[in-house]
Amino acid sequence: MKVMSVALRTWLRSGPRSVSLRAAWHYLPIAIVLLAWQLVVDFDLVDRAFLPSFGETLSALWEMSRNGEIGFNLLVSIYRAFAGLAMGSIIGVAIGLAMATSRRADEFFGPLVATTYSLPKSSLVPLFILWFGIGDVTSIVSVLLACLLPVIVSTYHGVQSVPPVIVWSARAMGTPHHLILWRILLPSSLLSIFTGVRIALGFCFVLTISVEMIAAKTGIGKLIFLYGENGAYAYMFGGLLAIVVIAYAADRALLAAMNYLLRWDDSIHAAHVGG
Amino acid sequence: MVERADAPYGPIGLAWAGLRYCYPLLLVVVAWELVARGGLVRPLFLPTVTAVLEQFWILLVEGEIVGPLTVSLYRAFAGLMLAVVFGVFIGLLMARSKWAKWALDPLVSFAFPAPKIAFVPIFILWFGIDHLSKILLVAFTCIFPMIVVTYHGAVAVSRTVIWSAEAMGTPESKMLYRVIFPATKPHIFSGVRVTVPVALIIAFTAEMIAGGGGVGAALMFAQRFFQTPTVFVYILIMLATGLILDRVLLRLRHWLIPWHDEWA
Amino acid sequence: MISICVKHLNKRYRARDGDVAALADVDIDVTEGEFVTIVGPSGCGKSTLLYILGGFIAADGGIIEINGKAVTGPGVDRGVVFQEYALFPWLTVAQNIRYGLEMSRAPRQQCEETVERLVRTIGLQGFEHRFPRELSGGMKQRVAIARTLAYDPKILLLDEPFGALDAQTREVMQDELLRLWQATRKTVMMVTHDVNEAVYLSERVLVMSQRPGRIVQEFKVTIDRTCEREVTVLNENFNQLRNKVWLAVRRQSGARSV
Repeated sequence: MKVMSVALRTWLRSGPRSVSLRAAWHYLPIAIVLLAWQLVVDFDLVDRAFLPSFGETLSALWEMSRNGEIGFNLLVSIYRAFAGLAMGSIIGVAIGLAMATSRRADEFFGPLVATTYSLPKSSLVPLFILWFGIGDVTSIVSVLLACLLPVIVSTYHGVQSVPPVIVWSARAMGTPHHLILWRILLPSSLLSIFTGVRIALGFCFVLTISVEMIAAKTGIGKLIFLYGENGAYAYMFGGLLAIVVIAYAADRALLAAMNYLLRWDDSIHAAHVGG
Repeated sequence: MVERADAPYGPIGLAWAGLRYCYPLLLVVVAWELVARGGLVRPLFLPTVTAVLEQFWILLVEGEIVGPLTVSLYRAFAGLMLAVVFGVFIGLLMARSKWAKWALDPLVSFAFPAPKIAFVPIFILWFGIDHLSKILLVAFTCIFPMIVVTYHGAVAVSRTVIWSAEAMGTPESKMLYRVIFPATKPHIFSGVRVTVPVALIIAFTAEMIAGGGGVGAALMFAQRFFQTPTVFVYILIMLATGLILDRVLLRLRHWLIPWHDEWA
Repeated sequence: MISICVKHLNKRYRARDGDVAALADVDIDVTEGEFVTIVGPSGCGKSTLLYILGGFIAADGGIIEINGKAVTGPGVDRGVVFQEYALFPWLTVAQNIRYGLEMSRAPRQQCEETVERLVRTIGLQGFEHRFPRELSGGMKQRVAIARTLAYDPKILLLDEPFGALDAQTREVMQDELLRLWQATRKTVMMVTHDVNEAVYLSERVLVMSQRPGRIVQEFKVTIDRTCEREVTVLNENFNQLRNKVWLAVRRQSGARSV
């Protein structure tokens, strides 16, 4: 008996040992919340008109995926989000690098960045609708602008933080000027850049959904909004669940990519909450 | 970001330095005015700077600026306060209690990357179209970065600091309040600073989507009726609000946490 | 043949309230194949001198010539090892060592052979594909030295190379450096605050004054370096010389004798 309780206590303290068991343990709170959700509705603690149960949401989601509705709209939104993210990141890195290495670029872009940092990019959406109409362009441009700033700032910060002795060593070993940027500054600031991209990843979904809810013909934001307006709440929750899962998966994927590409970096190996 | 160590001082010098700093912004404004005046673009798409300024004045006098702005700011701040209070508490709890961390970690992990603006229809359904839904949406969105930032700050408190406090007889009940919370304040503050624009964005965007007063709703209204100068005015209002709040926060920092050494 | 020639070197830093002289009228001559160390009190400018020789910062006055040519910037003729190792953290040990050779566009075969040889020399076989973050301080410094040797510069500039290591590792590294120097006979200029190290390794020790730094004393070291460390260190000559140098530095730092 005593041996068993000691074993139990140790197990509780350090958690299960196998990987899949540990994953299950880690996600158990979510299962508990979902169960609570189902029970709260089943026992009529909350009006079904306000909160469809988890089961109803899942069946609505299933139906939407069978008729391709969820697939199509998700794809449209993901396309817009990632197109904007990719372009915004590439341009952002370029501008950040320019600002960190050239005084004139810094003097030109610096004030622009500092000023537009505080502008909610979603406020430009009505303007973009006026200029580009309702469609992909508005979404992609909005996302691009939203992703630009965090990437610029984090790239700039990353390059600025490269220890001078690293650059000095590279030059002492004969690195020509045009290679310093590409082979030394960029790898050195990769962690910073990726941190900015991760923030931009969060933004790209927010902006895409925002645009689609404000005015769009397609997209998961539009779907959620439409079902909400028409009172089909199970479907609305279904769409919501879908995008939450997608966003989570994208974040995890980026984290995994980061952990691989930056496996040489000292500071990346720290336990984190919220990813 | 750029500093000139040898800039001349005195009022003329400062004005000149200020001008030199702002030249890209002035360039943008001048280019804007020239393009708009030159007839390259229809005024529907790009009104002149002067038209926008005129419209700003008109709106201001009519009370169409202060009114909606107050509404939006009220919602943003109420939501932010809720998020800060609860977020900090939860973050500290997660740092000190293993069970709290176990229970909340996956929830925070899922909620953090999720585009919480997608919850607008739900919040409207549950809490109506007026203030409450927007405030709660802001709180819902801002609580997660506050939790994460607080958690990391609390966890980073050097264990020798905690051990010293324990050695000097601090009971567990007081540890959180007298040691960990003060030590985490700089992190909390920088978290708030980063979250303020988020609060504004959510408030504005929720208003754009669902209406119900505030700058966002006013902006959408103007756009629907193709009142482009008004659209520009509200965009600039949002920009100015964000800028001013950031400055205010920086000032506040000196006042609230004078003992901590500066970081960018 | 004079490898390093420094005459009347000056360096000033701009501070908020006027200029601060870091180096004033420094004169040094180093012959080819010589091992010279500069010691001095903290902040005297010895690292600054090394950075100027390396071509990373510019002097404000005076002549700096390497092998008869004026210094205009960093170059592959002067290998530099920093106290912080300055390894490229995103490259493996082998890639770090190979870097200089890649820059000089050496043929692939030669690169591979050199890297392999150096890895063996520094005793890190099996660690070729590790990243710097997986290495200890001593190992990192060995890689730093190896990558500098890879492209065979005639001159080595070492800025407190063992300053970040613990005492035991430092002794091991000093012996390795000595061995390498005796095998390759490069011109070495080292900067250190460790007087023991200076006397143990170099043929000449130059003492720098407090800021603004100038060379105020010179000691010729003629100990027998062919024997074991224990023999050398416990030797009477060595200790007397070391004490003289230590006293000279101490006087320069303005510390008052009890």
